[in-house]
Amino acid sequence: MSTGDLAARQAALVAALVAGAPLPPGFAAEPVAAARTALLRKRAGEVARHWPLLAAGLGARWPELFLHWADGRPGAGSLRDGWDFARHLRDAGTLPPLGAEELAAREAGHRYDGQAAPRPRPLPAWGRAGGAVAVQLAGRVRLLRPARR
Amino acid sequence: MTGPAGVGIGWRPEIAGFVAELPGLRFVEVIAESVPATGPLPDGLAALRERGVTVVPHGVRLSLGGAEAIDPARVAHLAAVADLTGAPLVSEHIAFVRAGGLEAGHLLPLPRSREAVAAVCANVTRAQAELPVPIALEPIAALFDWPDDELDEAAFLTEILERTGALLLLDVANVYANARNRGGDPLALLDRLPLERIAYAHVAGGAEQGGFYHDTHTDPVPRPVLDLVGELCARRRPPALLLERDGHYPPADVLRTELDALAAASGFPAVT
Repeated sequence: MSTGDLAARQAALVAALVAGAPLPPGFAAEPVAAARTALLRKRAGEVARHWPLLAAGLGARWPELFLHWADGRPGAGSLRDGWDFARHLRDAGTLPPLGAEELAAREAGHRYDGQAAPRPRPLPAWGRAGGAVAVQLAGRVRLLRPARR
Repeated sequence: MTGPAGVGIGWRPEIAGFVAELPGLRFVEVIAESVPATGPLPDGLAALRERGVTVVPHGVRLSLGGAEAIDPARVAHLAAVADLTGAPLVSEHIAFVRAGGLEAGHLLPLPRSREAVAAVCANVTRAQAELPVPIALEPIAALFDWPDDELDEAAFLTEILERTGALLLLDVANVYANARNRGGDPLALLDRLPLERIAYAHVAGGAEQGGFYHDTHTDPVPRPVLDLVGELCARRRPPALLLERDGHYPPADVLRTELDALAAASGFPAVT
């Protein structure tokens, strides 16, 4: 076993836990896999707190769907994780109406390029998802039209 | 401010109303990263401070066990929150939470190696240079071990505490979880740890899932953890014991019962 390179070994372990990298040599597979799943469940809970309507819209399927999407995808913080996941569902045509309304409201309020932290939109703006339309004026977001149900 | 004393509870916004109405409460913890460095304190915490309740900032993202030097901005934030809360001490973990540019999203265990001891001690020393108050270090719960430990848990922790002069934040539920998942005798560990260095102890609930005991902080405190609290107090009772609850908050009477069980197991007065 290599020693004297703690930084590289820690990086390899984190990559295996959150980015789908192979298990570093010498670790027991089953406990590390259990830890990986526990991390994903914790993350699902945190994202659900930031995106309550999206999580509620998916109901009992939330943990399973989120875990499937998030496995091997490093976290970017709960706000961005939920945003990316909602856009993924929108693109797949499976975003529930409550989630569409939440996404439309977020899109109206903030500009998010999928790479860096979302920034407030300074000018009046629209957000649309799944038929839902939200408008932002002077920082206040209002849902103009509900999503298709 | 006086040090942690008696039975306390982790202050969280979701249970601020419940915590505010605990008549005998003298001690809470707050997640340091949840408090803005420039203040103000959340209303509920400020009210507790006015009552003379001790508030200890508990950091979760400093990554003291990372091979790299800790981020000075994160230390400055912890120091600022210690000042804001008038805290007698702060606490953090013997763990790392990021490496190679990736966030793990949780506390990860270190190899129990001399190299890891050196890395932790270097970071604790860096933090101590900037913090206005002492730091207590908490050993974490983990599901797995590194393949090449050179020390056992007691020797690993004792060496870190001795070299840094830090206090110990012993999490009784972590001791239980580690014994369940990684083997070892929890009582033998208690017998070998420097219990006189404990600033306070954590207690939390957990649940069985997939053949492992998970220290979830969202489930009830199981009986064996309370029994272990009794074993710890029989050896040397720490100055304070703190209940950590981080979600799936139960009704107030259930939470009161948990606090009372902690008081009964330790012999401290009930705070409810």
